[in-house]
Amino acid sequence: MIRVTDLRKHFGPTQILKGISFEVAPQTVVGVIGSSGSGKTTLLRCLNGLERINSGTVECGKVRLEAKLSKAEYRHRVRDLRREVGTVFQHFYLFPHLSVLANITEAPVHVLRRDRKSAETEAYELLESVGLKTAAQRYPESLSGGEQQRVAIARALAMRPAVLLFDEPTSALDPKRTVSLRTMLRGFVTRGHTMIIISHSIGFLNGLADKLIYMDSGEIVEQGPAEQILNDASDARTRDFVSQAS
Amino acid sequence: MRRELNRAFHTALLITVSFNAVAAQQALRWGADPSGGAPYVFTDPAHPDQYIGYEKEMVDLLAAAMGRHPEFVPSDWETLVSALQRNSFDVIVNGLEPTGDRAQQIIFSKPYYIFQLQLTVRKDENRIHSLSDCSKHTVATLGNTAASRMLQQQNIPFRSYEDPPGAYRDLELKRIDAVLMDVPAEAFYARNNPKLKPAGPPFFRGLYVIGLRKGDDKLKAEVDAAIDKIIIDGSLEQILKKWGLWNDAQVEFQTSIRQGVKAELGHIDMTTATFNWRDALLRLTRAAIVTVLIAFGSMLIAVVLGLPLAVGQSNGPKIVRSFCTVYVEFFRGTPVLVQLLFLYFGLPAIGIAMPGWLTALVGLGLNYAAYESQVYRAALEAIPKGQWEAAYSLGMNPVLAFRRIILPQAFRIALPAMTNDFVSLFKDTSVAFAISVWELATAYRELANASGQFLLLGVAVSIFYLAMSLPMAHLARRLEDRLRNRVPETVDLEEVAA
Ligand SMILES: Nc1ncnc2c1ncn2[C@@H]1O[C@H](COP(=O)(O)OP(=O)(O)OP(=O)(O)O)[C@@H](O)[C@H]1O
Ligand SMILES: [Mg+2]
Repeated sequence: MIRVTDLRKHFGPTQILKGISFEVAPQTVVGVIGSSGSGKTTLLRCLNGLERINSGTVECGKVRLEAKLSKAEYRHRVRDLRREVGTVFQHFYLFPHLSVLANITEAPVHVLRRDRKSAETEAYELLESVGLKTAAQRYPESLSGGEQQRVAIARALAMRPAVLLFDEPTSALDPKRTVSLRTMLRGFVTRGHTMIIISHSIGFLNGLADKLIYMDSGEIVEQGPAEQILNDASDARTRDFVSQAS
Repeated sequence: MRRELNRAFHTALLITVSFNAVAAQQALRWGADPSGGAPYVFTDPAHPDQYIGYEKEMVDLLAAAMGRHPEFVPSDWETLVSALQRNSFDVIVNGLEPTGDRAQQIIFSKPYYIFQLQLTVRKDENRIHSLSDCSKHTVATLGNTAASRMLQQQNIPFRSYEDPPGAYRDLELKRIDAVLMDVPAEAFYARNNPKLKPAGPPFFRGLYVIGLRKGDDKLKAEVDAAIDKIIIDGSLEQILKKWGLWNDAQVEFQTSIRQGVKAELGHIDMTTATFNWRDALLRLTRAAIVTVLIAFGSMLIAVVLGLPLAVGQSNGPKIVRSFCTVYVEFFRGTPVLVQLLFLYFGLPAIGIAMPGWLTALVGLGLNYAAYESQVYRAALEAIPKGQWEAAYSLGMNPVLAFRRIILPQAFRIALPAMTNDFVSLFKDTSVAFAISVWELATAYRELANASGQFLLLGVAVSIFYLAMSLPMAHLARRLEDRLRNRVPETVDLEEVAA
């Protein structure tokens, strides 16, 4: 589904990502863990085209991003890439001037040119699946952090992406909500979605992620099945991080 | 060296002596508007520090006859009466006509000149042959004159000008279709202009008198005697002949004076348009409508043009960026009054002659576009980068993201500042009076000068301004409230979610 090969990214002289390679199988969840500043968010932004990669490739479905592409061609492919990938940002970035319903229907209606009626019907279904059906007419400002997150998820899903990217989805949630979010995301996986989730919460990823990637200062230290990384990591740094984090 | 010193001393002495001699004489301070004031009184083109004109020469004679020395106080036509009342000078000598309005504020001398009116059109004009053809054409004239009152009474659309040259220039530029002016001014400014021609013969007879303060009866007696003297001894006749103003009307008038017939104001047409409130309010209403149209029109230009300026200045390529910056700095850094004068008087030189209202509308629009662009820029920069990124991540292209996501939010942020700007734009429409657009400020000035009702008209005009700007502010507040997010409903979503 997703294959990243030798991805490099620098800001000015500073290397942020120093050759990242990994794969994500369809309908699986990959968790990305690592200390602050290790480059997780930057990686995510490379995967949805918000940052241009400096070297390597990103493949997702039929779309293939390469560092050496011309500016116009790169932009063109990023557009295709974004049809495949939906993003739920750490701070959600809901559109404050639109109601919850309009937040969800905005892109389907104006980007996919779907007719408003059917887009709204689907938006209500999505809201129901995230447990917010009655909030359709409210505005983001009046929602709690957890509710905003669920609207952001519904907004991303409305574009029917194959892959969902999450940056720190648990940072705004209490433990009880964390558990219900995990259940919800599992549900979306069974319905066919693939996910890459950045999280500091090992507890949240445990039981949700099929595979874990541990990053440190722009490199992947270790990746493998979640079980193995959590209980039987081969690298000492990974073991340290996991034991400190859990 | 010593001889020079000596000479300087002598000169100084001489000046002092002659100064004392003059000072011993009483002054006759006379007020008139010398700008575009030929042939009455105007700046001598050959000696820009001196004034000339037939009335200037006449006042010299009058003063001599009265044993006084003349002292000219340059003033403004529209405010002559109030300046006289404020004691800025003793008499008005400026082709002043006796009217009912003025009679309530000042007193008049005997008449000294019979004036007629002349209608002037462009050389190629073939629709207008007399005033009766003008009901569908705009006629220019000086504000607050016999001519303007006649046009008003006959319901002919007209525009008031500050001075004759402006009126004739706009006639040439086709901003108006005819000019109605007192013959002396017409003779000086239009008769020899190859692009213009008289429409029909001169008509109407009116009087020029000298205006004095109420209660100044002693001075009036002196002035009246002096007028009689210069008519009877023929010296006024000489001046008028010299200036080409001697005609049948003067012959008749002066002969009767010499024969001892008292000049009666009743013999002659008098345009006694007395001030009435119904009329004034009607004209104020018209001015208010013009004000509103200019304000809305220019705000529309500003709001629309401000956006490309803002975007260009923030995100455009280098050339566009510097162009926008120059535009903004130019319009913010120079007075809007100067910009309007440039558009109105300067642009015709390159063949663009817009009518006054359009000039005001476009000029204020261009000016405020500079301000709006800065309001937009600040608002656009206040939108978090994450909003763009969220829009991009949903597959929107930059144009769509800008239009659907960024702009509405920026608009909401910009709205209070835009409202403020609109209210000040609304008040700034008053600079249009500099290019004789009949908006509220011009209306106030003209009506108040004609009637002396500065106080009451001032209140009325303020009420007009407020009646328009307060609802606007209120509307804007309503809009802001509507755009602000609604109050959350009292549904417990956490329960629904669980
Ligand atoms: N636009 C940028 N310009 C320069 N440096 C940047 C930029 N974006 C990120 N960085 C740097 O890249 C490094 C990695 O940042 P990134 O946000 O990817 O870390 P992270 O792993 O997501 O950290 P956290 O867990 O705290 O969110 C940081 O040192 C950061 O300062
Ligand atoms: Mg991060």
